[in-house]
Amino acid sequence: MRKWIALLMISLLAVTTACSGSTGTRGEGGKKETLQIGALYPLSGAAALLGDESFRGAELAVKLRNKNGGVAGGKHVELVKTDAPDANAAQAEANRLITQKGLHLILGSYSSAISFAASEVAERNGVLYWEMGAISDPITERGYKYVIRTNPPASEFAKVEIQYIKEVVAPKLGKSPTDVRIGIVHEDSLYGTTVAEFITKMAKEEKMQIATTQPYNMKSVDLSSVVLNVKQAKPDVLIAVSYLNDAILFWRQAKELGLDVPVFIGTGGGHTMSDFQKALGKDVNGIIDVDFPQYEINKSYTPGLEEFLKLYKETYNEEPRSGHSLANFMGTNVLLEVIDKVGTIDPDKIKQAALEYKLEPGKSATGWGVDFDQAKGQNKLGQPYVHQWIDGKLVTVWPKGAAVQEAQLPMPKWSERK
Amino acid sequence: MAQLMQIIISGILVGGIYALISMGLNLILGVVRIINFAHGEFLMISMYISFLFFVTWGLDPYLSAPIVVLLLFIFGCFVQRIIIQPILETSATVKIFATLGLSIMLQNLALMIWNADYRTVHTAYQTSVIRLGEVAISVPRLIAFAVAILIAVALFLFLQNTLMGKAIRAVAMERRAASLMGIHVKKIYLIAFGIGSALVGLAGSLLMPIYYVFPTVGTLFVLTAFVVVVLGGMGSMLGAFLGGILIGLVEALAGVWISPGLKEAVYFVIFILVLLFRPSGLFSLGKGSEEVGLK
Repeated sequence: MRKWIALLMISLLAVTTACSGSTGTRGEGGKKETLQIGALYPLSGAAALLGDESFRGAELAVKLRNKNGGVAGGKHVELVKTDAPDANAAQAEANRLITQKGLHLILGSYSSAISFAASEVAERNGVLYWEMGAISDPITERGYKYVIRTNPPASEFAKVEIQYIKEVVAPKLGKSPTDVRIGIVHEDSLYGTTVAEFITKMAKEEKMQIATTQPYNMKSVDLSSVVLNVKQAKPDVLIAVSYLNDAILFWRQAKELGLDVPVFIGTGGGHTMSDFQKALGKDVNGIIDVDFPQYEINKSYTPGLEEFLKLYKETYNEEPRSGHSLANFMGTNVLLEVIDKVGTIDPDKIKQAALEYKLEPGKSATGWGVDFDQAKGQNKLGQPYVHQWIDGKLVTVWPKGAAVQEAQLPMPKWSERK
Repeated sequence: MAQLMQIIISGILVGGIYALISMGLNLILGVVRIINFAHGEFLMISMYISFLFFVTWGLDPYLSAPIVVLLLFIFGCFVQRIIIQPILETSATVKIFATLGLSIMLQNLALMIWNADYRTVHTAYQTSVIRLGEVAISVPRLIAFAVAILIAVALFLFLQNTLMGKAIRAVAMERRAASLMGIHVKKIYLIAFGIGSALVGLAGSLLMPIYYVFPTVGTLFVLTAFVVVVLGGMGSMLGAFLGGILIGLVEALAGVWISPGLKEAVYFVIFILVLLFRPSGLFSLGKGSEEVGLK
C-alpha cells in the first residue's frame, strides 16, 4: 500500500512540475538572432490574476512586433517569462534572470512590492528595470539609475480624483469644491494607504473637507462596520481604494445596509475589473472609477487599441479582463521602439535612448504620451483617466480627449434603483 | 441605538459563518488529533463544486448543498486514508508538513484549473434583506447562521446519543483505551475526518451566495477558524460555535468603535489573553486538551 501511495505522490508531482514547466518560454535554437528580455510578473499566488493580465499585454506587444519583422533589422524578441508571487520570490527570480540567464533587461511587474524588490536587484547588477504597471511613487523616487516607468504613479491617481471632484463633481452637486465632503475607505496595505494619504494631502491643499477615513484589512470577510461608519459620516463623495474581493464585499454590504452616497469613486484595483461587474451585475452602474485607460474610450485618441483588442481576442479567446494588459502593451511598445533604435540590449544605451524618446499624448494605444523625467526615469505624460460603469460597461468620461460620454451624476439611491 | 443593534446583528451573523467553518476543523482536531492546515482549501474546493453545479445545471447553492456535503465527505475520507493515515504515528512536524503541503498543492491545482479569476453565483435573494425599522438583516447570512445553529445541535445530539457518536468521543478522549474496548479506531478517524470535511462542504455551499470563490479564498477564513477553535476550546463543538459568534461580534464592535483596520488586532489580543489565562480555551473539555493534536 505504502509503495502505491508513494508512486501516486511521485506521479502527481511529476505531472504538476511538467505542467508548470510548459508555461515557461525558452528559445529553441532559432536561426534568426534573438534578443532576450526577462518578464517578471506574479503568475501564481494572490496577485496572479492581474499579474497574468499584465503579462499578456507585454506578450502581445512582442508577438505583434515579431510578426511585423522584429526589431533592429529583423531581430527576434523573446520574453523569458518568470513567476514572482511575492517580494522574496521577485528578488530570487531577478537574480536568476541576471546571473543564470545572463539577461540585461527585465520588464514587469504589476505589483509595487515585487517591483521594489526586483528593481533593487537589477540596479545592483546594472540591469535595466522597465516598469509598466506598479504605481507606488517611491519606485522611481529613489533616483535609481536603471529604473524606467511608463505608467503613472499613485500620486497621479489622487491628483486626477481631486481635480475631477473640483472640476466636474462639485458643480454637478451644486456645491463649491470647499463644501464637498469627501469620505475615504481604503484597504490598509501599502497600495491603499499610499493612495489614501495622497488623496488626504491633496484634498487639504484644495481646502476640501475629509468627512471620514476608514482603513480596513483587504482579507476581511465582513465590512459592515466600515459601511456603517461611512453611513454615519454622510459624505458627498466616497473614494474607495480596494482590491477586488473587498470592493465586491463593500458594495454588496453598502446595498444591504442602505448606504447611499451621491458620488462613489473607485481607485483602480478591484473597481475596474470585469469580475467586479460580473459579481455585482446591475449594481455597478453609476460607480466612477479612476484607473489606467480602459476599452470604452475615444479610439482616435488611442491609435493601435483596435489592433490590440483584435489580437487579444485571437490569442486568448476572451475579452481583456482589465486595462492592465493595455498599459503593459503600451509600455512594451515604447521599449521595443527604443530597442529598435539602439539595436542591442545594452542597459546604458537603452536608458539613454529612452530619455531622449518623446511621444505626444494621443499617439499611443493608451493615449499616453512619453516624456521621461531625466533624473528619475518616470514618464511624465502617463495619466489615469476617469471612467464610469454605465450599462455594465466601463466607459471613459474624462478627460475630454479620451472621453466618449459624460458622467451620469449623482448616482440614484438604492431605493430608486430598478 | 439602531446603529448598535445593526453592529451586533452583523457581528453575530458573520460569527455564524466562522462557527460553521470552525466546527469541522475542531472535530478533526479533537478526534484525529491533527491540525488540518488544508482546511481552508477544503472550503475553497466545496465553493468551486457549488459554483460548478450552478453554472452547469443552474442549481442553486442551497439545493446542491447536500451533494457538495456528500462529495466533501468522500473527499475527506480519501485524504485521510491516503495522506493522514500513514503519518498518524509520526511527529508533529511531519503532520504539519503533510497538511501544509496538501494546502499548497490544492491551491496551485485550483490555480491551474480555474485561473485566479473570481467567480460568483447570482441568485435572486443574494442581497435581499429583512428590515426591522432601521436595522437590516441579510437573508443569506441569516440562513447561514440558522444552519450553523442547526448543525451544532444536530452534531451535539449525534455525538451524545448515537453509538457512532459515543465511539468518536471515546477515541477523542483516549484512543488506546477505546481500541481496547473494541472500537475500530482507524475507522473512527476516517469517519471523523469525513464528517469534518462534510461540515466545511456545507459551509462552502452556504457561503457561495454571500462570497465569491478564487484559489486562495480559504486563507481568508482559515486563520480566523484556528483562532476560534483555540479560543473556544479544542475538541469542544459548543466552544467552536460560541467562539465563532464571539469573534464575529468582537470584530464588528471593534470595527466601529476602534477602527476597521484594527479589528483583527483586537481579536488577536483577546486570543493572546485567553492563551495566557485559560490556555485550554473558554469552553474546554478539561485539563490537557490544549495539547490535543500536537502530541
